[in-house]
Amino acid sequence: MNTEKKSQFKLEKSAVLTFIGIVLLFSSAVIVTLIAPQYVDPTWIQPTTSYQVQVYEIADPHLYISSAGGENRQYVYHLQKDFTLLAFQENELTRILAPKDLESYVTKFGDGQLKLTSKLLLLREPTESFTQETEALRQQLQSEWTKNDQNKDKTKPRFTILELYDPGVQEAFSPAPTDTMLENWVDQNYILIDEPKHSYHQDQGVIYILNPLEYRIRVVHGTTGDFWIFDPTGTKVESLEQLQSHPLQFKSRQELIRAGEGIYAMEGCFYCHTDQTRTLVQDLVLNGSDSYPAPPSSPNEYIYQRITFPGTRRIGPDLSRVGVKRPSRDWHKGHFWSPSSESKGSIMPSFKHFFDDDPRGVSKESVGIPNYKFEAIFQYLMTKGTRITPPNQAWWIGKDPIKTIEIIEGQRKIK
Amino acid sequence: MQQELAKVKYDDAPSRWMLYPSIVFLIIALTIGVFLSYNVFLFPDYFSSEYIQFGRLRPVHVGTVAYLWLVSANVGLFFYLVPRLCGVPLWSYPLAYISIALWWASLAPGIFSYPFGTNFGWEYAELPDTLWGWYPVKFMVLLAWIGFTINLYMTIATRTIEKMYVSLWYVMGTMFWTGFTYVVGSYAVNWVPEGISRVNVSWFYVHNLVGLIFTPQGLAIAYFFLPKVTNSPIYSHQLSMVGFWSIAFVYAWVGAHHMIHGPISQWLQTTSIVFSIALFIPVWTVVGNFFYTLRSQWNKYEHNVPLRFILLGAAYYFITCVQGPLMSLRNINELTSKTDWIIGHAHISIYGTFTYFAFAGIYYALPSLASKPLWSRRMASWHFALNMWGGLIFMLPLWLGGFLQGMQWSSWADGGSYAQFHNNLTNLSFLRTIADMYPWWTLRSIGGTIVLFGNIIFAVNVFNTILLDPSKDRELALAPAKVQI
Repeated sequence: MNTEKKSQFKLEKSAVLTFIGIVLLFSSAVIVTLIAPQYVDPTWIQPTTSYQVQVYEIADPHLYISSAGGENRQYVYHLQKDFTLLAFQENELTRILAPKDLESYVTKFGDGQLKLTSKLLLLREPTESFTQETEALRQQLQSEWTKNDQNKDKTKPRFTILELYDPGVQEAFSPAPTDTMLENWVDQNYILIDEPKHSYHQDQGVIYILNPLEYRIRVVHGTTGDFWIFDPTGTKVESLEQLQSHPLQFKSRQELIRAGEGIYAMEGCFYCHTDQTRTLVQDLVLNGSDSYPAPPSSPNEYIYQRITFPGTRRIGPDLSRVGVKRPSRDWHKGHFWSPSSESKGSIMPSFKHFFDDDPRGVSKESVGIPNYKFEAIFQYLMTKGTRITPPNQAWWIGKDPIKTIEIIEGQRKIK
Repeated sequence: MQQELAKVKYDDAPSRWMLYPSIVFLIIALTIGVFLSYNVFLFPDYFSSEYIQFGRLRPVHVGTVAYLWLVSANVGLFFYLVPRLCGVPLWSYPLAYISIALWWASLAPGIFSYPFGTNFGWEYAELPDTLWGWYPVKFMVLLAWIGFTINLYMTIATRTIEKMYVSLWYVMGTMFWTGFTYVVGSYAVNWVPEGISRVNVSWFYVHNLVGLIFTPQGLAIAYFFLPKVTNSPIYSHQLSMVGFWSIAFVYAWVGAHHMIHGPISQWLQTTSIVFSIALFIPVWTVVGNFFYTLRSQWNKYEHNVPLRFILLGAAYYFITCVQGPLMSLRNINELTSKTDWIIGHAHISIYGTFTYFAFAGIYYALPSLASKPLWSRRMASWHFALNMWGGLIFMLPLWLGGFLQGMQWSSWADGGSYAQFHNNLTNLSFLRTIADMYPWWTLRSIGGTIVLFGNIIFAVNVFNTILLDPSKDRELALAPAKVQI
């Protein structure tokens, strides 16, 4: 150790050897425990499924969310030509009219094969050229409907009839459903009509956007400021900049999830909540649904997080499957506002700074208006447990790929 | 030789600049801890605000105890003991003052900024990169530590006493390891791929914070002061060396045992368990060495407060290190992990063991730091008694309650079908198992209050010693013994 010239004492040879030995052992420990695992065990860096990759890399950055319009929170897809995959699918109550050249993009009612396109097409209320056709179709559908005996006592539906058109733009915006964490996913019986334009178009399954309309807004003047609502006859959102800036103030779900991760760290959620379903029956049950156990956490569930919070203590329940166990935004709203009234006996503090104090001054509710902090932490929590497998292979509908239930019920022995 | 050494003048100002503030921070840290134990667990959110809640205050409690109190006090004691073991004054006083200034100016604002949203997000490494976007607290801590390290290494390199006592080995080891561990936990965690690789690096840091920072620091102090307060040489130098090198070898491997049953490779879990069991070796050598040193002079225990702290600390060290390896076994981990047992285990090592070693060191060094006898021996005795009883009332309920909670959780796994498991959970909800902790949490708060009270007595005693004139009728308590190596 004392190699400096000032030293008056010689270092014994045995001490030098011991020191070198310890350095070697210490560095081998660091190599084996810290550096080697990601190469030895590929699940440390490989994604769970291509669904996970597409949700994080394709869907999240292009879904925009804002609650700046007050309680009318809005979700908007950012559609891009040659990138976003779209499907125009008819269902029992919806029919799509298309000009001749676009007809092949419509998946007709009863057609088992889903047609996808990376062209940027949109749906709208039928324009003048389609008026007659629309009326004829509607009457035909309604008369068919009345003929069916099962529909005797029900009200006659109006049937939604939309026109497919090519807006001839590079990017567009479309309203998105607000109540789901899961993406539209198709992995069999589908066809991509155009050439693949992006690498994800060639995956074995793809996330797509169903029946996009154009996002148009109407600004409403309230007593305490302007807000806006979705209105198909309103004005068009011109650009991404407009969407992100005042007064719309949209943020992408990716931004929100990352902000949520920061809030999770800042608020110290991880001192009371773990984020891992351990390979113990009690954990699989605690996080499971009424009918199926939750699969244990796998290393690759965490690869899209910059900070991971495995946790040391459970003063509150584990959160690794919270997106499945508590998917309701309303539940989380009430719970962050006052945890002890939402779940009796909870000692979680309330997070009222996730809410603004009633900016419009008209609410009589006891719960405030969520601000972006709430949206961020909510979107972050909703990633937990929902992105392991595509929705059609999910554990909560009994299609757990690793068959946890067979293992814990002792039907199958693991090595 | 002995005469020459007596001539060396030791200026202990750097030691004072580290020790005195650390005692203030000890009281702050304990106050926050006791406040949380009432305001979070017994009367949830009696005082509530965005900034006063468990998630934002817990890291302040932990950071203040770990860095502002314990590491600071330990470095203060190093500045006292290293020159005395080397027979030379500290190598560079300007360097010492610069490092100390950097240390306090970065850590204190850094740790007390957590409630305002600066948490870095990794447990025990919450220190943010910068404050206000420009004040680089994390880097300043590293610089301060490099300053401490150079100073102590150079003091050792220029020493006039040839034989290196075991404390010096521990000091040299821990100065290097602390720097290494700090860099791993604060920086390297972002150098590896996202996800479990980062978690793994973080646990390496967390465990080595205890294993390669607090343990060797505490043992350096205990090995120095034990022979002093007992006035007898250490039982076996060879044994102490075995202890030192086995710590160096074993601790780097055990980080992954924080993730037993978790989403981390099984082979890594098994490796960490094997090395955790190997931790029995360094621990038993140390504890054996301490208790053998004291054989046939147990009567000193009655009169000597520092000795009492060292001994109780050693006993707690033994308990910690029986608990630790056993908790890494998969079947025991299933019951203890994620319960309050873990909180109890963290407290018996940081508070029970190494804080007690630091108390012993401060009691021993204080008369020569302040050039006055200790203000009150009775207060010191009360300090020990309140810490002992308060500590037991506070840690035993955490172990017991945590163990029982682990048993409750494992009862969900009774039966043979998922319907049965789920039925168990319906009959005993998660929140029920939390509510069942209240009696234990009450005891924890009572014990914690006693500990806080005992340590306020300690702080008063220390600052009375420093600030007031010793009254004549007070006996010369705990006067420093001769330097004996």
